[in-house]
Amino acid sequence: MTELQQALHYLDSEDTSIVVLGSLGRKEFTSGSDIDWNLLVDGIADPNHHALFLDAQQIINDRAPKGVGREGTFEAFVSSHDLIHKIGGEDDTNRNLTRRLLLLLESSPVGGRVAYQRVTKNILKRYLLDDRSFWRGTTVHRHHIPHFLLNDLARFWRTMAVDFAYKPRARSGKGWAIRNIKLRMSRKMLYVAGLLGCFRCHLDLSENERYAVFGTEDLRLSLVNWVTKDIFSNTPLDIVANFLLRHDHLHETALQLFTSYDQFLGMLSDSDVRHHLEELSEGSADADDHYRKARELSHNFRDALLKLFFDEASGLAKLTQLYGVF
Amino acid sequence: MQPLGFSTGALALSDFRSALEMLKDQKVNAVELSAIREPELIPLLRSLDELDLSRFSYISIHAPSQFSPQAEDWIFQELYDNRNNCWPIVVHPDTLKHDPDWRLLGSQLCIENMDKRKPVGRTVQELDLLFERFPAASFCFDIGHARQVDTSMIEAYQMLKKFGHRLRQVHVSEVNSRNKHDPLSFISIIDFQEVAHLIPPEVPIIIESIVSGDQISAEISRVRKALAVTSKPGGMSSVVS
Repeated sequence: MTELQQALHYLDSEDTSIVVLGSLGRKEFTSGSDIDWNLLVDGIADPNHHALFLDAQQIINDRAPKGVGREGTFEAFVSSHDLIHKIGGEDDTNRNLTRRLLLLLESSPVGGRVAYQRVTKNILKRYLLDDRSFWRGTTVHRHHIPHFLLNDLARFWRTMAVDFAYKPRARSGKGWAIRNIKLRMSRKMLYVAGLLGCFRCHLDLSENERYAVFGTEDLRLSLVNWVTKDIFSNTPLDIVANFLLRHDHLHETALQLFTSYDQFLGMLSDSDVRHHLEELSEGSADADDHYRKARELSHNFRDALLKLFFDEASGLAKLTQLYGVF
Repeated sequence: MQPLGFSTGALALSDFRSALEMLKDQKVNAVELSAIREPELIPLLRSLDELDLSRFSYISIHAPSQFSPQAEDWIFQELYDNRNNCWPIVVHPDTLKHDPDWRLLGSQLCIENMDKRKPVGRTVQELDLLFERFPAASFCFDIGHARQVDTSMIEAYQMLKKFGHRLRQVHVSEVNSRNKHDPLSFISIIDFQEVAHLIPPEVPIIIESIVSGDQISAEISRVRKALAVTSKPGGMSSVVS
């Protein structure tokens, strides 16, 4: 990341940010990772943005171990307008949804941060200020849950799962095993962090604080700022860790969750194992030792998540039942 | 009534006399005498005794926004020599190099938050560093600059929350993508309304929108609409401060 920052430094501007996503954005980069990135533009259209994009592309490609995905989601110009205005509806394409939520969940600007910060704040401002029940609280339980955001995160998670079934057809089965394991671990972690981030909007505040914050119109922008900076500007692992660190009784759960995730990252950072999983077909996966080990890790990870999200003492169980299921 | 008026620079660039003439029949009671370009400072300061400013309940001076380090000494001295009228001296923070001098102005030194071209004074974090250097300085909140830097208005909100106690005056205009000061648009009015309740009614409003004489009253109406208080301020939570 430091190397990229130094190389891209001269491309900084107030209207653009070069944003890395994926494993680099999550701070889980390993030797076999690709560099997913976009040029985020938040300002007047300028033909010279194209030259900026080409320069950035050249610099990043020189340092990337391999190419980005084929869906055109990354290594692209991304205008803030679509991200902020097209939330839901016919024009909110799969690609737009993915770019928007990855920007919130696993992104980091390389160099100039101003445009990046402006856009993430404006996206969250839309999700939160357009959500009446978030401010009012749910009718029966007075929970302050950002439903608009939560529903979009759930949509994104299910979209990733559906696309997992779609991609083997589009890619003739290539990469099935690695994508399966990523779906079970790092993709799921995105949803976990998003869901927990939504629940933390309620759980991180005491009852008195909720009364003061949600009852005072003046504090709305302050709350949007807090959600942006204290929750969603962190990596998915940090969002989860921040919650677990405040609940001593969840120590064992934390250990199980992070151990399995750490071992998953360990497998990906082993170039032989990674290459093996990249080449492994669906038909051979069940009998393959590496795949079976990875699947076992994913089961440990899933079990830890179930313990976490159905934990009564932290208040998560109630929120999961009410807002995570139906 | 909240003091409200124009910057002379917005109305007539360096010709402050013409600007004051344009304001003669307008319902304004505040003015900022602009010497935004270095050569404008001496003619302005030398003319102060001749100007009829009696109708204004609030007057400030805008210091040059750009000058060489060699010029800092004499510019400061000229402004310092005019300190006895107690008018706030609005400065762009990137021009302040020799801190001990400027600190002598105390709260008359009025630091303005910057647009996105400037390397300092754009955000709460950057202003914090400036007010550490100039602890007695007051604050000129440029709402157009703040919006240009962060269209979510969160930075503007944070500035008013954090530096509200220093707030001496407010600059109002729509700062466009070329950093020029335009009349307020429909969108900027809505954006400004989001933080208007944090501006106390006694704080003077200085309009910086570049308008012709026949557009002055319309722009005043737009500014009044943008800064009309629509919600009541409340207490601040320690969690989300």
